[in-house]
Amino acid sequence: MWDVLIIRPILNLLLLLYKYLGNETIIAVALVTLVLRLIVTPLMLKQQRAARKQQELRPKLLEIQKKYKDDPQKLMEEQRKLGINPLGGCLPSLIQLPLMIGLYQAIIRALASTPLQLLELPKDIYRWIPSFSSLIPLKSQFLWLDLALPDPLFILPILVVATSWFYQKLITPPALDAQAEAMNKQMTLMMPLMMGFFSLTYASGLAIYFLISNLVGILQYYLFRRHYAYPASETSGKKPAPQKQPRASAKS
Amino acid sequence: MNLWRMIVDRLYRGKKSHAGARGRLFGAGLAMFLLATVLTGCAGGARHESWPGLLVAGDIIYAANLEHVQAFNTETGKLLWSYPEETQKQQQLFYSTPVLAEGYGDYGLLLVAGYKDQTVYALPLGESPAERPDDPLWTFTQATGQYVGSGVVADGKFIIGNGDGSVYALNLEDGALAWQFSTKDRVWATPVVIEDTLYEGTIYIASLDHNLYAVDVATGAERWHVQTDGAISATPVYIDGALWVGDFSSTLYQIDLATEQIAWTTTANDWLWASPIADGTKLYFADVGGYVYALDTETHEMLWSTPTEIDDIIHGRPALNTDGSLLYVAGYKTGTIHALDTDTGAEMNWGTVARNPGRLPGDLAADEVNLYTMPILVDERIQAFELATGKITWNYPSTEPEN
Repeated sequence: MWDVLIIRPILNLLLLLYKYLGNETIIAVALVTLVLRLIVTPLMLKQQRAARKQQELRPKLLEIQKKYKDDPQKLMEEQRKLGINPLGGCLPSLIQLPLMIGLYQAIIRALASTPLQLLELPKDIYRWIPSFSSLIPLKSQFLWLDLALPDPLFILPILVVATSWFYQKLITPPALDAQAEAMNKQMTLMMPLMMGFFSLTYASGLAIYFLISNLVGILQYYLFRRHYAYPASETSGKKPAPQKQPRASAKS
Repeated sequence: MNLWRMIVDRLYRGKKSHAGARGRLFGAGLAMFLLATVLTGCAGGARHESWPGLLVAGDIIYAANLEHVQAFNTETGKLLWSYPEETQKQQQLFYSTPVLAEGYGDYGLLLVAGYKDQTVYALPLGESPAERPDDPLWTFTQATGQYVGSGVVADGKFIIGNGDGSVYALNLEDGALAWQFSTKDRVWATPVVIEDTLYEGTIYIASLDHNLYAVDVATGAERWHVQTDGAISATPVYIDGALWVGDFSSTLYQIDLATEQIAWTTTANDWLWASPIADGTKLYFADVGGYVYALDTETHEMLWSTPTEIDDIIHGRPALNTDGSLLYVAGYKTGTIHALDTDTGAEMNWGTVARNPGRLPGDLAADEVNLYTMPILVDERIQAFELATGKITWNYPSTEPEN
């Protein structure tokens, strides 16, 4: 089901673009990434608006949570009155995530570098579109890169880490308490490192995807900035001091 | 990343009043671990990247058995030697089918190519088949891609294609590079030399770059080439003045060596990955969709009323029994071997499934007694079946209790 609904359409879109854009894998990967990012943009903006709203209403929300901590029903009611849907931010994410993971998997499959990977490819290709099979294997040479193999010069992993870090920095909202601050720090550090590790280990076509995805994300941030939760950089000097949370007690 | 961060953030904030900082850090770690698992799982982190191959030479099997090159007795399956020693666990993997160069070194050379270290090894054989080779007579390390297909011995050279797109001709005496021929994509097929004076001095190379090249075996200079619609991973077969080979566009080609042109084509239902096999003027070929075909190469007529369909992917080259009455085809996913009547294409009742079949991506090999396979994803890495009945003769490592 996952293959049929997500991976195959993306993979065949990749092949279609490859076919009509001069058999250049890197252009096809870039365009598919761009197209998917554009498709999920409305969802992403919705998610960002929800996050921003929650951020704005946070003091009120904390107050309600404190007041109705023993009455979840009432708590939900009050939250609804404020216009907060607990799933409002998660749901768009849950729709976007499969698309992004699907894109990742489609790139991996299309750039099959080993015989066994390539052997799995025929079943994913739409036969009703003529000559798709003749495109395989996709051209994998681009400048110094073999897109099916990791970058031997480590340039892409470095770019991926740098852009991931910058993007994380942009989209990370200011922390309102010490714990959120710790989480933010961890995410801002760990995500770029993890992406860098993947770029170092797997096909450089994937690193291209990470890089383009980050660049598009950065561009989207500047284009739709007003929809985003207040980033730390914008609220410096006026962001509320991190609040120390009382440690949850086993008795409570 | 934004999405992931948002999800983690939601999880955090939703549990805010109940979770401690340690729990949150654990949650973030878990989320990243899950993401890493999803991503790396998708990246095909399977143990195998290719498949092992074996050579039957008289009563000895030489097998590229992943970490080792090994020799076995064909009758008993007894391991004769391992290179490197069996106790030595190597990071190296041997997939490419070994090649025997008789008349070189004192008792012949066994030529094998390592997948990961991109090295060709020339192992000098001893007087007795049971004698383990010494250190390699020479090695060749200049290729920059993986060796998938096997090589061929011709004109005092070992000639083998590589994933870097080049074909390397190495002097058998010392492993020196005699010539290098470059194609525009990976070379996974074994080069072909035709034992016919008409075509002496030429080697034929199929590449994933959609070309079949005829190359001067002495100099490596291109003589001619033909372009195909799809990439060629199969090793061509020679029948009566023509090479026959299929490609990823599902087309089977007859390439006339005299005119240096494509003489005839036919289309299969799916990609033609497996190398075809010839029996006189009959040609048997199979596509990855599970269809098996029999063709009369003189009349271009299909010999069976319909192709035989097996419910599996066919990837390895089929094999024939001694009198050519049975065609053996390996199903990749189920690890099942199918025996087909070559007259009708009908599937015969044959002991088809090994105790633990694994998967069968590689070529089948047969001698007069047994059919040999090297499945992957299974402990019994080499399996021998009686040609007539399909009964397991032996497997290695043996799963039978020793008496």
